[in-house]
Amino acid sequence: MASRAVPLNPTARGAGRSRDRARLLAAGVRALVLLGFVLGPWIFPSFRAMDVLAKIMIFAVVVASYDLIIGYTGIVSFAHGMFFGLGAYCLALVIHHGGEPRGFHLAVALVLAVGLSSVLASAVAFFSLRVKAIFFAMVTLALAEFAHILGGQWTSLTLGEDGVSFRLPGVLGVGWNGGGVLGVGVDGRLITYYAVLGVSVAVFVGLLRFVESPVGRVIESIRENERRATALGYRTFHYQLLATVVGSAGASIAGVLFAGWVRYVNPESVLGIPVMLNILLMVIIGGLGTLYGGIVGAAFIVAAETWLPELQKAASTLLPGVEIAQRLAERWVLYFGILFMLVVFLFPKGIMGAVRQILARREPARTGGQ
Amino acid sequence: MNALDVAVGQPPGRPVSGRHLAVGAGAAALVLVPLIWIDPTTYLVLTVAGLAMGMLLFLTAVGLTLIFGLMDVLNLAHGAFFAWGGYVGFSVLQRLDALGWVETGSLGQSVGSTLLALAAAAGVGAVLGVVVERVVVRRVYGDHLKQILITVGLSLVMAEVIKIVWGPNDEMVLVPQALQGSYDLFDVVVNRFRVLAVVVGVAVFGGLHLLLRRTRLGLVVRAGVENREIVEVMGYDIGRIFTAVFAGGAALAAVGGAMWAVFREQIHPGMGDENLILALIVVIIGGMGSVTGSFVGAVVVGLAFNYVSFLVPKLALGVNILIMVIVLLLRPQGLMGQE
Repeated sequence: MASRAVPLNPTARGAGRSRDRARLLAAGVRALVLLGFVLGPWIFPSFRAMDVLAKIMIFAVVVASYDLIIGYTGIVSFAHGMFFGLGAYCLALVIHHGGEPRGFHLAVALVLAVGLSSVLASAVAFFSLRVKAIFFAMVTLALAEFAHILGGQWTSLTLGEDGVSFRLPGVLGVGWNGGGVLGVGVDGRLITYYAVLGVSVAVFVGLLRFVESPVGRVIESIRENERRATALGYRTFHYQLLATVVGSAGASIAGVLFAGWVRYVNPESVLGIPVMLNILLMVIIGGLGTLYGGIVGAAFIVAAETWLPELQKAASTLLPGVEIAQRLAERWVLYFGILFMLVVFLFPKGIMGAVRQILARREPARTGGQ
Repeated sequence: MNALDVAVGQPPGRPVSGRHLAVGAGAAALVLVPLIWIDPTTYLVLTVAGLAMGMLLFLTAVGLTLIFGLMDVLNLAHGAFFAWGGYVGFSVLQRLDALGWVETGSLGQSVGSTLLALAAAAGVGAVLGVVVERVVVRRVYGDHLKQILITVGLSLVMAEVIKIVWGPNDEMVLVPQALQGSYDLFDVVVNRFRVLAVVVGVAVFGGLHLLLRRTRLGLVVRAGVENREIVEVMGYDIGRIFTAVFAGGAALAAVGGAMWAVFREQIHPGMGDENLILALIVVIIGGMGSVTGSFVGAVVVGLAFNYVSFLVPKLALGVNILIMVIVLLLRPQGLMGQE
């Protein structure tokens, strides 16, 4: 990766020490974040805080898997929201049409989500990516809109606009109660929270391993210079296809988690254009090509969506009667849009990229002083 | 001049007539296929409806395809110009109705108000187009990823500004009296507005054809689509041409939006996104960068949508995707696209 500063002489003691320090710092931050999510229900013992944390984890997975496609592979897909929705609907419909909720329904939904999204992503890639990378953006945009309409119209399967609400089996069910630990009730909600946490971490680590693997390196090299990668003998389409399929499958797993956490899906909440726009906002604000940016971006947007409406209410009571002020306060998506454009212009690598750049700039300065 | 002539002229010895005749005959046969299931009167009504829808789509798609062909920019904010045009047309009609021109006035007044609404939409679209190209799009030439991201952000912002100016709810659009009702030709009921849509669409197509084929500007634009560098080497300021094409495309999309508003008698802030997706399908079918291609693509999409929604209503929305997939499989560069 070009952004990572590599000292000319790796045996220089100062450079090595500061690199070790940076690595240690990064590991510490990672451990702290993970610990925060693990202890979250105890640190902030309210349902709302737990809801925010769970959604951050889920969207961090969505955004990281999207980052694999847009950031590492350099392909713009507008169907990522669709794959997310596909996963969500897999869980909801398997349980809805499967009678009494059972444990194996979860496994069936997960397998179905990964299988369907892989097949669909391969088909889309075959039709459009083979031709021209930019076609992929256009075809996925059309397809995602079609999926959204289908979710609303195919009422016999998806129950249409009304959506599907369902229960989870066993210890994940809302009814289950296992007493309390240190003042926090151990119920279906809490168990679901940890299930979401476990799967999210597993998928996230899997994505990290994937981009660090030799295959991931080839994928990045194709983004940097496709002709050169072809000249080196790599079948670039195969690698791009693989990245698209892995990313889309990751999104569908996150969709299963989202449906499991919310226990309700409808076309608007998981398939609509706003979902896709949110994912785009998160990945851009967090930082393209960083994976960890997914956590930052997801945290930023989920938190903003949770607390902005309250801020807006406060703003409108400050200026009562001024209609244009009311309207301006109501339209917080506008500010997201402006922020989004500014980030694309000024910090193309997002928050994570900017942080890494600052750290990389400090490093040689420190070695120079010794 | 020689280099330019070679760049824009038809390659010598290209077999035009035979192949094109075969394609044309095949297309005509395809258009007649629905007659197997639909009685002729209904078929004609549906055909006119499909042509009208196609012409409205063409107005958006042509800007998209020219901007892509000339500037290599996928402008996902193009739908926002469409929505702005719809809202501007709506406002103009509302103002003029206060003068008694639109729903109650004489024939001249209601035709005049229609023209004023379309002209205002075109003007606002062109001005917005100039501003957007100069301030935003110009910065991202040559970088597809940034273009896509920036124009998505732009469409978000432009839709939000609509909500601030006009409010977030659906608005009812007044229909000028001259356009209400329909003509009855031998039992074929033709909505007046659809006739206007077809006339405007064909006029724009013909006008663009003349502009591109018969004028100096058109020559330079076509040359730019083929090879930008050579046009610059010839001493033309490609930047100004980019601005002009972008503004022109935006103005046409805005006119399309204003006509759509009158056609549907209703507008909402999300109308741009819906239209953009259909226009993208049209451009993929027709071929990126080809004006004739997007005309053909728009007609195909409009007709297919109307026939299928009559025969199998549930399939109507999928048929466009299906056509797009078939075209991508058989002729990935689009019906009229090159390479």
